[in-house]
Amino acid sequence: MNNGKKRLGYAAQNLLLIVYAIFALFPLVWMVIISLKSDAQVFTTTFAFTPTLANYKEVLLRSDYTSYMIDSLIISGGSVIVSVLVGVPAAYALARYNFHRKEDLAFQILSFKFAPEILVVLPLFMIYQKLGLYDSYLGLIWVYQLISMPLLIWVVRGYFEDISVEIEYAAQVDGYTWYQIFFKMLVPLIKPGLVSAALLAFIFAWNSFTFPLILAGRNIQPITVAITKYLGTDTAHYGQLAVAATVSAVPAMIFALCIQKHLVRGLSFGAVKG
Amino acid sequence: MGKNNSNKAEDLNRVPFKTRVRPYLIVAPSLIITIGIMIPFVMAIWFSLTNYSFKLPTHKFIGLRNWVEVLSSGAFWNALKVSLLYGVIATVVEMALGMGVAILLNNLNNKLSKVLRVLLVFPLMVAPVTATIVWQLMLNSSVGIVEKLLNVFGVYNFPWAASPSTALMTVVLIDVWVNTAFIILLVLAGLQSLPKSPFESAKIDGGSAWFNFINLTLPMLKPSLYIALLFRLMAALQEYAVIFALTKGGPGDSLMSLTLTAYQTGFRFQKFGFALPYILILWLVVNVAAKQIVKRQRAAQKQAAGLEE
Amino acid sequence: MARIQLENVKKSFGKVQALNGISLDVKDKEFFVLFGPAGAGKTTILNCIAGINLPEEGMVKFNNEIVNLVDPAHRNVAMVFENYALYPQMTVYDNMAAALRSNLYKTDEATIKEKVHVAARMMKMENLLERLPSQLSNGQKQRVAMGRALVRTPNVFLMDEPLAHLDAKLRNAMRTELKEMQANLGSTCIYVTHDFMEAMALGDRIAIINKGEIVQIGSGDEIYYMPCNEFVAQLMGDPQINIIPGTIKEAEGGYVFCFEANGEKLTVSMPEDKELWKKIRETGLKNTDMGLRPQNVKYSFTPEEGYFKTTVYSYESIGNKSVIMAECGEYQLRMIAPNGLKIAIDQDIYVRFEIDHSMFFDPQTKEYVSRYDEETIREFAAEQEVK
Repeated sequence: MNNGKKRLGYAAQNLLLIVYAIFALFPLVWMVIISLKSDAQVFTTTFAFTPTLANYKEVLLRSDYTSYMIDSLIISGGSVIVSVLVGVPAAYALARYNFHRKEDLAFQILSFKFAPEILVVLPLFMIYQKLGLYDSYLGLIWVYQLISMPLLIWVVRGYFEDISVEIEYAAQVDGYTWYQIFFKMLVPLIKPGLVSAALLAFIFAWNSFTFPLILAGRNIQPITVAITKYLGTDTAHYGQLAVAATVSAVPAMIFALCIQKHLVRGLSFGAVKG
Repeated sequence: MGKNNSNKAEDLNRVPFKTRVRPYLIVAPSLIITIGIMIPFVMAIWFSLTNYSFKLPTHKFIGLRNWVEVLSSGAFWNALKVSLLYGVIATVVEMALGMGVAILLNNLNNKLSKVLRVLLVFPLMVAPVTATIVWQLMLNSSVGIVEKLLNVFGVYNFPWAASPSTALMTVVLIDVWVNTAFIILLVLAGLQSLPKSPFESAKIDGGSAWFNFINLTLPMLKPSLYIALLFRLMAALQEYAVIFALTKGGPGDSLMSLTLTAYQTGFRFQKFGFALPYILILWLVVNVAAKQIVKRQRAAQKQAAGLEE
Repeated sequence: MARIQLENVKKSFGKVQALNGISLDVKDKEFFVLFGPAGAGKTTILNCIAGINLPEEGMVKFNNEIVNLVDPAHRNVAMVFENYALYPQMTVYDNMAAALRSNLYKTDEATIKEKVHVAARMMKMENLLERLPSQLSNGQKQRVAMGRALVRTPNVFLMDEPLAHLDAKLRNAMRTELKEMQANLGSTCIYVTHDFMEAMALGDRIAIINKGEIVQIGSGDEIYYMPCNEFVAQLMGDPQINIIPGTIKEAEGGYVFCFEANGEKLTVSMPEDKELWKKIRETGLKNTDMGLRPQNVKYSFTPEEGYFKTTVYSYESIGNKSVIMAECGEYQLRMIAPNGLKIAIDQDIYVRFEIDHSMFFDPQTKEYVSRYDEETIREFAAEQEVK
């Protein structure tokens, strides 16, 4: 009796989990299905259909979609590179040194994560127009630091704190200079954390919408902004819309798979060491 | 060094200049960028006190007029209501659902749960705008599968985002789809880092599963829960992309949140100075909420540390 | 190799005063032990010598030259860290070779190989060279940390509890080896430990550190037989020294020691020692804490002349011998006994003090006053010093 009850509970738990999994994953499957349907079959079929790559050809070869992707790549990649170059040394300093107002500074950097993006963007729009940064890669990379830098600094700082300070002392005593210690001893040790933080920052930047919507114009159009054009038109090319969505989502998902182990730590800015 | 006696004794006990400035030097670049991004914040406060507009060649200081006008307008209170409703409902649903799923994943610990731990992250990696498209493909009355499903139950043309009464539910649905995974991940990590010993002694004491959950798991999980809450609530209060992509704030003003109202006032109506109080107030709300949550998180952490012993 | 001096070194971390005016003069080629309880500041002293910490006051000198502003790399010291501080991404071999590959101490690979293998043999870990630190046990890590220091020819070896995590057998073997090696290399060595046996076995001289200050410096025997206060007496020796409060009274031209045990007033006559008599007269010592090492407390299970009765509190083996604790009311008496005795808790035991091995402390200040055979011990210590 008791055993039967237990087995029932186990089955119920599995069932609940499967229900949630369908909710979470089926929309993605459906998106891929629609992306493979012809314009006619979109309306007439559910699961039984003849797959076609016509929509992919249309979107990737005959529209500007690839150039949108390249824009996304340049802006996201550029901002991650800047964040790494600037953020890693800062993360080290915040982990190791005790200087005046250190925690204030660290918290200030984190607080950008919680600042409404629009609040920054409205005045920036004006500044950028004056400085000629409006609709430029540099301007976008600059403002994207709001997304990528706090993440990088906070996560990497945690990884530096995990390295015992005696290792640095040992290297000093062994005759190494500060720069050699930093690059030869410490960077290899934080590499897994650094790579995952950088990839996550890339994903966030790739998915960013508000900044490019307002600060980019005709010249530069990352995917997230460009995709809204497909939304607006009522041409009923749902297959192409699905392709656009699929193509925008796939890189982020692949990256997420690569950094699985470090994902929790990255997403919580180092607060939860998963 | 040798015979150079002009060195005063104090100098020998001072960290050399080079070493002393190094921390500042290596923080400097990030500091410059930080300040660079701070400037708009400060400017925002100033411009909220002016009649700045893209239509006017110059702007002048007009005191608190923008603020008074915003606060006395119905649009503001509607926007505040939408933002709070959206933020609170989405966060509560995500927290509840995320906790439930995380506990299931942790309890079952079978093949299914191991595979899902990896796969359930996917929606979280989808840009909000893209997520909106994904759900339009699901809900659309001509191609969506949900419509076909509802037809089975005799429901036709369910309005979703098209009707003021269901629009909020629709955007919350999309937000939940994207962000529940965040809660799942954090709670699961929290569950798996729980110390074993209190549970072993509880087993000996023979408390019920529910009793253990309320008295042991929950208090020890609280620090993680507060962190999840902090990140989610902050983001949900400011949500912009989903609403913008789905309805641009409509139908009517049913989804005009503070962020959307500010965007519209600033860019569509070109009343820049008038747009800023909306966001500055949002910023204030977010900051106050964040402070409260951080305070509770710290207290919960202390309490949890006590339980571990 | 070098003479290492610290002059009035002070160092604090925030509000905590870690070192409060430390002065040391470690001779060239000396094996100098820093001994004291946890948190006494021993590691901070090493860090100041290595240049990892810069003292707020005072000088650090190598061969009479002030090195305060010389960075750690250029001080040419080799250090063994208590938590090993191995480079996690490098194999054991690369860890040991790291110093000899730095620009400063650059050596050709052939020499490095030779030196690493010599050190590895000495540390009995030739089979571990290809492993990563994460694949080692704590004891093995500690040997690697030692090996990493031994490949070098530094001004001074700084060793922070380098044997603490080894098992007992290996620790004994290493202790002997270390002492021999240091003599052969002719190197200065400053060695931190909280293990009394290690301090006694290794140190040419021992400095007792407590609360950031030096309490006493001397050879092991000097400190063991003439501890400068009760704290040192209790620190040096395992099992701990017995401290028996009592009074010295004049009687029949000599002195007697009066004390209490389980409320009973007892008197032991003190054999004559001219030096001691003089000291007692000069200082007017009356109330005193008598220190008596456990091996100088004799016991019997039957009543005997000159023995007083107490009860057994505990009986525990400490390896090749055991310790009996006897209950005496306000204090307990430790004494050495062989293993395997049939002793019941609370049974009667009769105890006698070998008072001619005792030392006397001031009960207020806890400072050392005098002891039996003081002159002999002084002479003995002086002899050792010359050697």
